[in-house]
Amino acid sequence: MTPIRRDILIGLICIAVALIVPFVFGGRYVVTQATVFFVWAIVVVQWNLVLGVGGIFSLAQMALFAIGGYATAMLGFYLKVPMLVAIPLGGLIAVVAGMIIGLACLRLRGPYVALLTLAIAQVMYVLIVNDTGCFTNVSGCMPLFGGVRGIGQFGDLGFRSLFPSKWYIAHYYVALGLLALAFVFSVAVIRGPLGLAFKALRDSPGYALSRGISRFKYQLWIFAVSAFFTGIAGGFYAVHFRVIGPTVFSFSLLLFLIAMIVVGGMGSIWGPLLGAALLMLADEGMKEFSDYRNIGLGLLITLFVIAWPRGLAGWFDRLRALRTSNPD
Amino acid sequence: MAAAVPLLSCRNVGKSFGALTAVNNLSFDVGAGEILGIGGPNGAGKTTLFEVISGLNPATAGEIRLAGEDITRLAPEAICHAGIARTFQLNAGFDSLTARENVQVGAYFGRENRAMPTFRIGAATKKLADEALALVGLEASADRITGKLPVLERKLLMMASAMATRPKLLLMDEPVGGLTAKEIDRVMQAVRTIKAAGVTIILIEHVMRFLVQLSDRVMIMHHGEKLFEGAPGNLVNDRAVVEVYLGKGASERLKSFMQAAGAVSHG
Repeated sequence: MTPIRRDILIGLICIAVALIVPFVFGGRYVVTQATVFFVWAIVVVQWNLVLGVGGIFSLAQMALFAIGGYATAMLGFYLKVPMLVAIPLGGLIAVVAGMIIGLACLRLRGPYVALLTLAIAQVMYVLIVNDTGCFTNVSGCMPLFGGVRGIGQFGDLGFRSLFPSKWYIAHYYVALGLLALAFVFSVAVIRGPLGLAFKALRDSPGYALSRGISRFKYQLWIFAVSAFFTGIAGGFYAVHFRVIGPTVFSFSLLLFLIAMIVVGGMGSIWGPLLGAALLMLADEGMKEFSDYRNIGLGLLITLFVIAWPRGLAGWFDRLRALRTSNPD
Repeated sequence: MAAAVPLLSCRNVGKSFGALTAVNNLSFDVGAGEILGIGGPNGAGKTTLFEVISGLNPATAGEIRLAGEDITRLAPEAICHAGIARTFQLNAGFDSLTARENVQVGAYFGRENRAMPTFRIGAATKKLADEALALVGLEASADRITGKLPVLERKLLMMASAMATRPKLLLMDEPVGGLTAKEIDRVMQAVRTIKAAGVTIILIEHVMRFLVQLSDRVMIMHHGEKLFEGAPGNLVNDRAVVEVYLGKGASERLKSFMQAAGAVSHG
C-alpha cells in the first residue's frame, strides 16, 4: 500500500468513527468537548507546518488564532457581517497577519524566532486587556477590542435557532468538516512542492538557496498557509462560545498545544492529530489534578524532547521499519 | 581557449572580508563545453571564488558575466535560475529527505523562478529528477534517506541535484575529497558523462591526478591571485607552481604519471 493510500484509508476510518460519535455518546458534554478537540486539532495541524515541516520555532500560532477570532467577532459586531462571510474573512486576515510575522522573523534563527513571536502575542494580550476606554456605548461601555471581557453578541451560524436543543451537534459536524478540510490541506502542502521547499530550507538553508529556493518567498508562504485554517478555527471558536476574549492568549493553552505536537511528532502527518487526541483525553482524565496541569505538561514536553524527539509518530515509523526489515 | 563570447567571464573580481582579501583582482574566462580545473594551497581563495560566482557571498569588486549577462549582484537563487549550479566541499544535502526528493528540489525549483508554486510536483519534474539520478548512477539509492548515504553517494547526489537544475555551468568544489582511488574513478566517469551532456565545468580539487586528467585548462591560485593558467601539461614545468603548491616530490610523481598517460608537453 502506498503511503498516500494508507493516509486516505486511515483518514476515512477516523471520519467514519467521528460521524457516529454523537449518536453513540449523545451527551452534550462529550460532544462539546469533542468539538473543542477538533478546534485545537486544526490549530496544531497547521502549526505543525511551521514548527515541524518548516523547522521555524514560531509561537505565534495562538496569536493568529486570536486574530481570526477577533476579526470574525469584530466584523460581526461592528459591521454586522454575517458569520458565514466573517469566518473566512477572519482566515484571510490571519493570513495577512501571518505574512507580516513571517517577514519580521526573516532574519532570525532558532530560539530568537520563539522570543519574537511570543513577544508579539504578549503585546497583543496586554494591549487588549489594558484598553479600558469606551469605543462604543451601544450596550454598555466597550473598548475597541472588548477589553478583559472580550466581544460577544456578534452573530451566529444559525444552528441555535434551527435546532434549539441540539445545536451543539450541528457545531460538532461543522468543526469536524473544518478539521477534515484543514487536514487534507496540510497533507497536500506537506506532500507537494511547498512542503519540499519548507523541508529543504529546514534541512540546509544555504544549499536550498543554491538550488533555487528563495528563503524570503517560502518563509512568507509557510506563515501564510499555516495561518488560514488557524484563523478560521479562531472564528469558529468565537462563534461556538459566542464570545472571544483575551483568554485565548493564555500561556497554559499555548503549552497544551505545543505538547500535542511534541508528543505526537513534529513534522509528521498524523503525529499532531494523534498528540491532540491523547492530550485531550489525558487532560479529561486528570481534571482533579488541574493545579499541577502546567507542571505535568512541562514534564511531558521535556520527556519527549529528550527521549523521543520524533514523538509517537517516530515510534510507528520504527515499528514499520522493523516489519519491513523482517519480511516474514 | 575560450570561444568568442565566453560562457563565464570574470573581470577583476575581488572579495574582501574587512582587511582580509580572499580573492584579489582575478580575471579569467571559461568557454562553453570546457573543463577548467582550479588548484592551489589551502586558503588560496578557491572556495571563496565559488561563493562569489554562485552569489552566496557576493563579490566586493569586479564583474562576473554569464554568457554576456551581468550576474555579479544577483541573489543565489537567481544565479541558479540563470544556469549556474554548484556542489559543495562539505557534503551538503537535505538530510531528512530521500535521495529522489533531493534531486526533485533541484528539478522543481532550480530551473526557473516560480511566481506561484503548483499544487503538485508533476510527472515531468519527477521524470527529470529520475534522469538526473540515472546520470550519476544512483537509481538504486533513490528511496534511501540522504543523511544515511555513504560519502561517495552523497557526493554523486549533489552532482545529480545540480544537474537537475539544468545548468549551463557546473561548479564542483572538491568532488573527490576523502574518496578512495576506486571511488575517484567512479566520480571521474560521472564528470565525463556530465561534460558529454554539454555542461561546462569548473572544478576545484587537490587530487592532482583527477584535476589534470579531466581539465582542458588549469588555473592555480595563491593568496587570492592567479599563479598559473594554462594547459595541464605545463603545470609540472612551472617553477612557481612547483615551489608554492606541488613541491618537488609531488611534481615529479605527477610528471611521471602524466608521461605514462602521454599528456605532458616537453619544454
